[in-house]
Amino acid sequence: MSELAGKLDDLHRRFGAAVATAGDTRALDAVRVEFLGRSGEVTVLRRDIGSLPAQDRPAAGKAINDVVAAMEEKLEQARARIEQRAVEDELAQTVDVTFPAIVPLMGTINPVRRIIEDVSAYFGSHGFAVVVGPEIEPDYYNFDALNIPADHPSRESFESFWLSDTLLLRPHTSPMQIRTMQLHRPPVAVLAPGKCYRRDAVDARHLFQFHQIEGLLVARDVHFGHLKGMLTGMCRALFGQDQKVRFRPSFFPFTEPSAEVDTTCPRCKGLERECRMCGGSGWIELGGAGMVHPNVLREVDYDPDVYAGWAFGFGAERLGLARYEVDDIRRFINSDPDFLAQLQ
Amino acid sequence: VRVPISWLRQYVDLPRDTQAVVGRLAMLGFPVEDVEERPPITGVVVGRIVNLEKHPNADRLLIGRVDVGKETPLTIATAAANVAAGQMIAVAAIGARLPHLLIEPRKMRGIASEGMMISADELALPADWFEDGILQLESRARPGADVAAAYGLDDDVLEVEVTTNRADAMCMIGLARELAASYGVALRLPSAINPGTQEEPPGETPRVLIESSDCLRFVAQRFDGIRLEPAPAWMRIRLALAGQRPINNVVDVSNYVMLETGQPLHFYDSASIENGRLIVRDATPGENIVTLDGVQRSLSGQSLVIADERQPLCLAGLMGAAAGEVKETTTSIVLEAANFNGPRIRRMSKALGLRSEASSRHEKDLAPALTDAGAARAAQLLVELGVTAYEAHAFGAALASNAPITLRLGEVERLLGVALAPTRIAGHLEAVGCTVVPRPSGAIDVVPPSWRRDLAIAADLIEEVARMEGYDAIECVVPSVPAHEISSAQFELENRLAAELAALGYDEIVSYSLVGRHAPESAAVLDPLSEDQRYLRVSLLPAMIEYFARNGPVRVFEIGHVFRRENAHVGEYALATFGFSSTATPEAAWRDSSFLRLKGDCEALIRRVTGRYPETSRDARDGFHPGKTAVMMIDGREVAHLGQLDPRLARKGDAALWAYACTVLLDRLPEYALPRYSPPPKFPSTYRDLAIVVPLDDTAAEIERLIESTLGPACTGIRVFYEYRGPQVAAGRKSLAVRFTLQRFDATITDEEADLAVERVVNALRKRGAVIRQ
Repeated sequence: MSELAGKLDDLHRRFGAAVATAGDTRALDAVRVEFLGRSGEVTVLRRDIGSLPAQDRPAAGKAINDVVAAMEEKLEQARARIEQRAVEDELAQTVDVTFPAIVPLMGTINPVRRIIEDVSAYFGSHGFAVVVGPEIEPDYYNFDALNIPADHPSRESFESFWLSDTLLLRPHTSPMQIRTMQLHRPPVAVLAPGKCYRRDAVDARHLFQFHQIEGLLVARDVHFGHLKGMLTGMCRALFGQDQKVRFRPSFFPFTEPSAEVDTTCPRCKGLERECRMCGGSGWIELGGAGMVHPNVLREVDYDPDVYAGWAFGFGAERLGLARYEVDDIRRFINSDPDFLAQLQ
Repeated sequence: VRVPISWLRQYVDLPRDTQAVVGRLAMLGFPVEDVEERPPITGVVVGRIVNLEKHPNADRLLIGRVDVGKETPLTIATAAANVAAGQMIAVAAIGARLPHLLIEPRKMRGIASEGMMISADELALPADWFEDGILQLESRARPGADVAAAYGLDDDVLEVEVTTNRADAMCMIGLARELAASYGVALRLPSAINPGTQEEPPGETPRVLIESSDCLRFVAQRFDGIRLEPAPAWMRIRLALAGQRPINNVVDVSNYVMLETGQPLHFYDSASIENGRLIVRDATPGENIVTLDGVQRSLSGQSLVIADERQPLCLAGLMGAAAGEVKETTTSIVLEAANFNGPRIRRMSKALGLRSEASSRHEKDLAPALTDAGAARAAQLLVELGVTAYEAHAFGAALASNAPITLRLGEVERLLGVALAPTRIAGHLEAVGCTVVPRPSGAIDVVPPSWRRDLAIAADLIEEVARMEGYDAIECVVPSVPAHEISSAQFELENRLAAELAALGYDEIVSYSLVGRHAPESAAVLDPLSEDQRYLRVSLLPAMIEYFARNGPVRVFEIGHVFRRENAHVGEYALATFGFSSTATPEAAWRDSSFLRLKGDCEALIRRVTGRYPETSRDARDGFHPGKTAVMMIDGREVAHLGQLDPRLARKGDAALWAYACTVLLDRLPEYALPRYSPPPKFPSTYRDLAIVVPLDDTAAEIERLIESTLGPACTGIRVFYEYRGPQVAAGRKSLAVRFTLQRFDATITDEEADLAVERVVNALRKRGAVIRQ
């Protein structure tokens, strides 16, 4: 009997030492198998019980069970300790969060499209649809229907590329006014963005191919104040809430009254005398606008005594120059990857 | 128009501050494109040379005694050669400031010089437009007067933009009139009375025969006693400030009157007019004229000329002819102040490639009444120069006032959104020169002044009211837009494509629609800016290839139109092209994962924008690699084509670019098909893989279709997922691996059922000639 006790003591002691040195759950499992497994040392001791006198056997069984219980408790404690340490080790790890990120593969929308989308979103929220149309126009849509007859002096100011006696690359998006009004009875409220072409020498401020954004609202009770209201709202949406808009009288054959529209230089806010954006004037030019000429309304069978409307046409790249403080308008064509990456 | 502010001040009182004038002009519709700031000039006065003597100690110096309106004349030394006693000149007294000079007391060879005689150059006038040496002022100048102030040298010069409808404002009086109306101050105009009252000597009365209806009015007037010499300094300086080079008194008077009143004039040497009769007629085709610029021009019937009985003496509205030119020997001249049909002059000017200050005015809508005013002003100036003026004779239509326009007062508020009192509306219209007559029932009749040919309808008058009220005075109102049915679908499709392509990692570029290379179907512009921009693009690929060559490995897309000549018209098509370039060569001759990635992008894109799955098949197409090109179809119609770009065309210098691109035809994309949800099957599915060896020509799609048709709806998924070609399989064959998913919707599929399905597939494949591996 005392022989068994001695063996159990020894076993328990060696088990304790093995558990203490087990560093992870796998080593702990090995210890469990060695001592408590099917062919472990405890099993061997249990087998020996059969050789004891019968009256000693219950006591021996109990002694073994007690030790086993104690060992299992130790095992559980060790397991908890190891798991706890593993969690602590994991949590003790640090990374350099300032290390450069792994950059995802994402493309970019062209800044000109972004401008057109943003302008469209502003007008869209006020009930305007957005229409697109052809870049080659017959002179009828480009000129005649817009109250610019064949001999009108302003025809030349459009500096158009002609494909034949009657076909040209549109120098403005205003033909879309006619196309839209021929297709729909009033009210119409549309934006018509798209490419335009003019025989302009290319420099830092001019492209022979550019995008214009046309706007047209024709309904009952539409007046010049509405034009000012919408364009002021648009400039604020694009450039910020303190943006001012200035309307100056001008002349376009298809609007009367007509206006040139300027907005506060978004770069210097009119505070720099040598501003490279506005040249110190404090204003940048957006484009032309005005009340649709009664002859244009008559051309599409709208009664100018019943309906009134306004239209405008702004250069999208010009808006882009101001909005992104781009130094040269030519960067909008065949833009290099760096330009696109900066303005995404 | 170049406008010296000093010239405007003759007619209207303006603020001293240039920027105030600039701002006011802009808000009237005359933007100032440039301000030429004049340098400050002080202490320069008019002087009269009392006498001149040689400097005792220097051969080349003269000592002048110069009366500058003070008690004692100044003693001034000069080296100039063009001075003489009695001349009026500009003198800078001690302390004067000039652009490059500060005049201080000094001794010249022992004699104290009390100032300096001044040249045009020193007054910041173009030196080669004026006499060498000392600037000669006119004899009526008053000694002691401040030169800078008297001649307007210290006032800035504006470059004013005048819109094409405002021919009346292309002159000093026109702009002064606008400013006077806007500021509400008086306008001081030169007299309108023509001083020519005498009758001409017998037989010398100018006569004009107008044979063309494109000459509306012609005022002719004879002047005698002409001697060509420089015009007075005040006129020359004004012209120079306005950017017009002074020539001689006659030419300068015509330029001066044009710049002042807007009416171009022409002077003929009376002696050159055969029988004293001018004829305004169409040119005879082939007729020749040598214009004053020395160019011989051959005319067509489109040209309008003023001729005598022998030959054309002037191209109407453009330029005179050498044959009628005023010369050194001329003693008598005939003035022409004419009004022509603007469009006719513009066509002529364009056809002959000849533009002049005169034509830029004649080609617009000048007022016929201006002819009389221009002639009167020229006569006044010539008489001042000592010339004899005879009567002015007007030919052509009688002057009529402009037609009245009825303006319903309610229209002003309807169009502007501002309520203005009727008296205020009338006041604004009267300020710009209109005559306003009230009518019953809230309307007025408005007669525009003779010079405002652009005012024709009520809207024109409303703009005048708005201009005078100030556009700033119109309140901003956000309108409530009434409902309408106009669709934004096309615009949204393009934006959707752009967004999806950006999500797929492509950058959006915009290239030129005009290109140098052409295809048989290319349309061309008639007058390109350069040969590189003569043709309309038929494809977005060439610009993209150039972009690849310039920028290294990139992924880009472009959405834009291409153009194709189709019989009499030009077809226009919206495309989206996307592609990428890489430096890597394909991994094996028969495996090209770049192509498969491109295909994956295209399928994903089309699925996103149409909700549909396209069918892909092999294709051949210009610009693409003959073995790596595919077409994608929906409902049997091509929606896209894609492939590796032909390495013979896609090049960077001498090297081939490995580039891949796909073009989507926007007009062919079907409308978005809304997806419908199928819930996950209630019973689990199973799958089987087969490895087969098939002839090289068999495509993955054919194998998939065969399995699909063999199994029917029990097969819910099928995909060829591996390909191998090489020594492990027989020549002319390739190995494929295919996985198909089997599913029952009423029960779990059993292994026996799956095995049976495999057997049917194996049989079908074998029948086709495939060998099943293991």
